[in-house]
Amino acid sequence: MTRITIDPITRLEGHGKIEIFLDDAGEVSSTAFQVPELRGFERFCVGRPVEEMPVLVNRICGVCPEAHHMAAAKAADAVYGVVPPRTALLLRELLYSAFFVADHTTHFYALSGPDFIVGPDAPVAERNLLGVLQRVGSDAGGRVIEARRRCHRVVEIIGGRAVHPCTSIPGGMTKGITAEERDEIRDTADRMVDFAAFSLELFDTLILGNPGYVEMLTGDTYRHETYSMGLVDGAGRLVLYDGRVRVVAPDGELHGEYDPADYADWIAEHVEPWTYLKFPYLRKVGWRGFVDGKASGVYSATPLARLNVSDGIATPRAQEARDRFFATLAPPTGGVRPQVHGRLAMHWARLVELLYAAERMAELVADPEITSDHVRTRVDGIVGEGVGTVEAPRGTLTHHYRTDAQGVITWVNLIVGTTNNYAPITMSVDRAARALIHGGAVEQGLLNRIEMAFRAYDPCFGCATHSLPGEMPLEVTIRGADGAVIDVRRQHC
Amino acid sequence: MCAASTADPAALATSVEARPGRTIVVGLGNPILGDDAAGWLVADAVEAGLAARPARGGDARPPVVVERLAVGGLTLMEHLVGYSRAVLVDALVTGADPPGTVRRRRLDSLPGREAGHVDSAHDATLVTALEAGRLLGADVPDDVGLVTVEAVRVLELTVTLTPEVAAAIPVAAAVVLELLDA
Repeated sequence: MTRITIDPITRLEGHGKIEIFLDDAGEVSSTAFQVPELRGFERFCVGRPVEEMPVLVNRICGVCPEAHHMAAAKAADAVYGVVPPRTALLLRELLYSAFFVADHTTHFYALSGPDFIVGPDAPVAERNLLGVLQRVGSDAGGRVIEARRRCHRVVEIIGGRAVHPCTSIPGGMTKGITAEERDEIRDTADRMVDFAAFSLELFDTLILGNPGYVEMLTGDTYRHETYSMGLVDGAGRLVLYDGRVRVVAPDGELHGEYDPADYADWIAEHVEPWTYLKFPYLRKVGWRGFVDGKASGVYSATPLARLNVSDGIATPRAQEARDRFFATLAPPTGGVRPQVHGRLAMHWARLVELLYAAERMAELVADPEITSDHVRTRVDGIVGEGVGTVEAPRGTLTHHYRTDAQGVITWVNLIVGTTNNYAPITMSVDRAARALIHGGAVEQGLLNRIEMAFRAYDPCFGCATHSLPGEMPLEVTIRGADGAVIDVRRQHC
Repeated sequence: MCAASTADPAALATSVEARPGRTIVVGLGNPILGDDAAGWLVADAVEAGLAARPARGGDARPPVVVERLAVGGLTLMEHLVGYSRAVLVDALVTGADPPGTVRRRRLDSLPGREAGHVDSAHDATLVTALEAGRLLGADVPDDVGLVTVEAVRVLELTVTLTPEVAAAIPVAAAVVLELLDA
């Protein structure tokens, strides 16, 4: 077939672009998935005081500013070699857990819901949040809005502002919370545990009770066997705010576990000529291309990956939900860590995490020290380099800073959640395209089925670019063996 | 299906007391992404313009609220609850107009959906979010206007605007103030 070189200088118009190449038989031979990249953040930060970073990085992404805020706060702590007091760490994790509840709630009902609750073949006009609300009813819809409002309020109480927190500083927090605020948050936490359980039951009824959806969860169209990455605590259990990075092979065997500061020893980046974004891969395995398997260094960092790497969840109801998840979807592996590789199972994994985050909120707010006013450790001296890593909703997020002796930034490196998943997203899009295009004919519903492949990852190219509008604007170009354009499909652009 | 507890009836209430005639102006954008700061800068100019106006005796209308936000979709909708009217200001890259062009637009008429911040790729378009809010009984504005500034550079981290966009800020602010007087 004719080789097509995509000019990497070509300016993308702010939407995702997929190029599908067919062979002489009209079958898919390769796929390229491009997104516009926001470059220059590292340069932009040089010369700024590191204590400004937790507030500045709120502006990278309008979707998960809390995640960047926390990663920046942890990196800034490390730059000054300071450990925040216990109350500050409780408050940060409480804020973070509330953020996770709001974010996962929104994703399930607004992004997963249109695919599973409304259905992948429903008219476009119905495949949105409104269609979901009309099917689940106004009471359920009201609970979705309530969950978002209450959790944004928790972020506002602890973080000083809703959505874009500003209270994390090197060494801790600028303020604590009052007993009244603690009581308000405790009420919210209890309601969120209830709501998370409700959402899991909804999934059970509407999705697991539908054989067609179960086939989508377990079939081959959306399946990839890659390594998984996520943070774990000292007992190997799933955590979101702080832990060690664990990587597990597709067969469940442990690949390695490391301190987040050592990420460069474990992660390398592969470059392709047709896209600005680089593809992270496992250095010790090596890059073998966009392929599955234990010999390929491709890895995923997603809610599904976090369940795959962990040995359990520390909160009781989420642990039960996790057990059910694996009992349903994972084949018995005779003692090796069970693995689930159907990518659409991410939607279920998100709900298990939603329940964990809500239970964790309840645990943290009940801690007697949560209202202590000892919320900051005095900074005394400087190390000049620091790494901060958290689990963002979309994957492991790492901020790495170097500063001069005055704490002024000299160098920045970020690996954002979705960047980890750029290779698996590309592979998932390719797999869906191969399943849907035969003999040069493009099936009905192509765009939506392809979009489902990457929407499961909830990709946030807002971290790599200016926030994308609406439903993912997408242009799909299908080229024949001679490179000529056969068809162009556009969605939302 | 679990029905042990239901939504808090105050789920959609805000601290904003809903009164007839309450208006909000929202500048949308990202202040560190070049021309994407336009919405915030127009909001600044509108706020200054409103403050400079002499008080009109007998005017019972509540004061206009001016906000600057970097959110879209559902979160933006939630900020509009309790207002009867909203004017949104945002940078837009269409390529169809010269840089700095200021337009009044309908919310559902954004060209090619490649526009600004009103929508969110992670939850809903603002139109959908407003409909969802109404479905759930939220007091969201029926009158939502959009003022846009044709931008050039929104993918570059800088606090500097291109000259044409900078020149458009007072023009866009005047359009917003005119809308508020209508």
